[in-house]
Amino acid sequence: MRAFGKILVANRGEIAVRIIRACREMGISPVAVHSEADRGALHVRMADESYLLGPGPSRESYLRSDRVIEAALRASAEAVHPGYGFLAENADFARDCVSAGLVFIGPRSDTMTLLGEKTSARRAAVAAGLPVVPGTLEPLSDDAAIAREARALGFPVMLKAAAGGGGKGMRLVAEPAELAGAAARARSEALSAFGDDRVYVEKAVARPRHIEIQVLADEHGHAVHLFERECSIQRRHQKVIEESPSPFVTPALRERMGALAVALVRSTGYVNAGTLEFLVGQDGAPYFLEMNTRLQVEHPVTEMVTGLDLVKLQIRIAQGEPLPFRQEDLVQRGHAIECRVYAEDPDQGFLPSPGRILGLRSPGGPGIRDDSGVFAGYDVSVHYDPLLSKLIAHGDDRTQAIARMARAVAEYQIVGIRTNLPLFARVLRSAAFQSGDFDTSFLATLPVEPKSRAASETAAIVGAICSFRDRQAQAPVVSSAGDTSAWWRAGLREGQRDRA
Amino acid sequence: MIFEATTGEQTFRLDVRAHEGHYTVDLDGRKLRVEVSESPPFLVLSIDGRIHEAGVFRRGSTFEVALAGELFEVLLLDVTRAAAPGGVRPASGPSRVVAPMPGKVARVLVSQGEAVAAGAGLLVIEAMKMENELRAPRAGTVLELLAREGQAVESGALLAVVG
Repeated sequence: MRAFGKILVANRGEIAVRIIRACREMGISPVAVHSEADRGALHVRMADESYLLGPGPSRESYLRSDRVIEAALRASAEAVHPGYGFLAENADFARDCVSAGLVFIGPRSDTMTLLGEKTSARRAAVAAGLPVVPGTLEPLSDDAAIAREARALGFPVMLKAAAGGGGKGMRLVAEPAELAGAAARARSEALSAFGDDRVYVEKAVARPRHIEIQVLADEHGHAVHLFERECSIQRRHQKVIEESPSPFVTPALRERMGALAVALVRSTGYVNAGTLEFLVGQDGAPYFLEMNTRLQVEHPVTEMVTGLDLVKLQIRIAQGEPLPFRQEDLVQRGHAIECRVYAEDPDQGFLPSPGRILGLRSPGGPGIRDDSGVFAGYDVSVHYDPLLSKLIAHGDDRTQAIARMARAVAEYQIVGIRTNLPLFARVLRSAAFQSGDFDTSFLATLPVEPKSRAASETAAIVGAICSFRDRQAQAPVVSSAGDTSAWWRAGLREGQRDRA
Repeated sequence: MIFEATTGEQTFRLDVRAHEGHYTVDLDGRKLRVEVSESPPFLVLSIDGRIHEAGVFRRGSTFEVALAGELFEVLLLDVTRAAAPGGVRPASGPSRVVAPMPGKVARVLVSQGEAVAAGAGLLVIEAMKMENELRAPRAGTVLELLAREGQAVESGALLAVVG
């Protein structure tokens, strides 16, 4: 068994912060890496050491596996935690870490190759007895082949990046006329996100739910599942709200999906944390989609209902320890929901909204957890994913978890950039979400609510008073107010009584 | 000072006066007493005793007001001395297509002088690893095309004019 004294965290943002926190609690010294754009980022501030990888763009910094390994060796770290995204599912990086004498906190490089490439994962799943969505079992790299396969399957079809994940390089194609444009954009996005423009084609399942199973396996042949997460609330095929348990999953379906997940883990010799994503039809039939061979963005909802710390367990498994529990020891307690707070404008097609966070107040109180990577004064960069924070609510049941989340969303104040917080407020009070009866098309069909007249009036009063103060402050009036703010000066200044 | 405040579809007329320790606001004929406490960018308002906390961010003559979990864009016009109530209205005519965020022009899908339908893709902007297609706001001709592929653009940069 190995015990790590120092771990290099090969990531940024909230997930780097999350891993650093686990390291601290285990008495392990966290080492960060950063780009030129991230010199002052939160994960750098929280680490013991941090090393520059390169300029802002990920390809020149967080995707430079050679520089990351150099930094780990320079810091004398024993292990590397890749988080999610960037190098997390790069099998070459995992292999290079091991060659350099570092422990990669994740599965072995050969298992990652097998499961990380989506079409070979589908073949492995079929071999292990898992049902899959009909589609191509080989990656496609020319448009003629893509068109041929799509016609053979029948529209609508999904195009997905063979090396992909996170919704990048993914397009729903409703009819043949859209195929060429969608394929070009999917391939170009896939190339820029993963350095591989190959895609594969799947038949689209009607009104599907997106449900995934968390697994953990150690080096000693023990494997368990940590139940399901419901991830059907998505925009542009990217999850924005996740919960556990799923309001759709029955005990029988849960047991079946858990057993399927453990079967794939055993048949592939998978080690460490992973997630099997399934599409579940309205008839309750699960189809294996893909396996994410890493920690998942939405892992906190599983942590809240199981009471486990997945990052610490990942580190323990990488240290060679056996899992400290068996399947029968695990239970789901209560209900957890996560909202992914993004710097994006839900009123304008979810366009990213980079810029400086001028004001920030995070929610707290009973049952609330905020896994954030930002702070007031922080510049949200155009270079990276616009995820600011993950807000998680836990309650005795789904109703209480929704009420807590709605309360926390209303408390959350982020000023200076647009965020999707107003969208969460609408989702949480919608009857369809509260009933649990929804599918992956939920957000696209959520009705737009007009803003209330009373709230609009209050906003107008706020605007008018701010404008009034600004104009008063600019007026050439002798002031003795010193260095207090312009707004205060306007309010306190003598001699302006009843001036309009 | 008299303002015309427009947010969404609604326009209000507000007469704001400062007093010692408070303001009075005449909102479409209703007189309100407003007390203000400030810790930028947050503002706490007590309007006739009712408490509201707002996050305020100024963008030109527009204030972005985050209030009760919703975001309001409030356009303010000082009409105290305006001869023409209602202020300046934007001219109609050709539509400008501007960058909605800082990013990179990944692809230009049209050429200058090309006829386009409303909603036709004009160009693709890449920002935060996502590609976003900008579409024609109206049917017409691409009168001006300023965007070049690979070009880095700031938020609000003029990319094309369709008229």
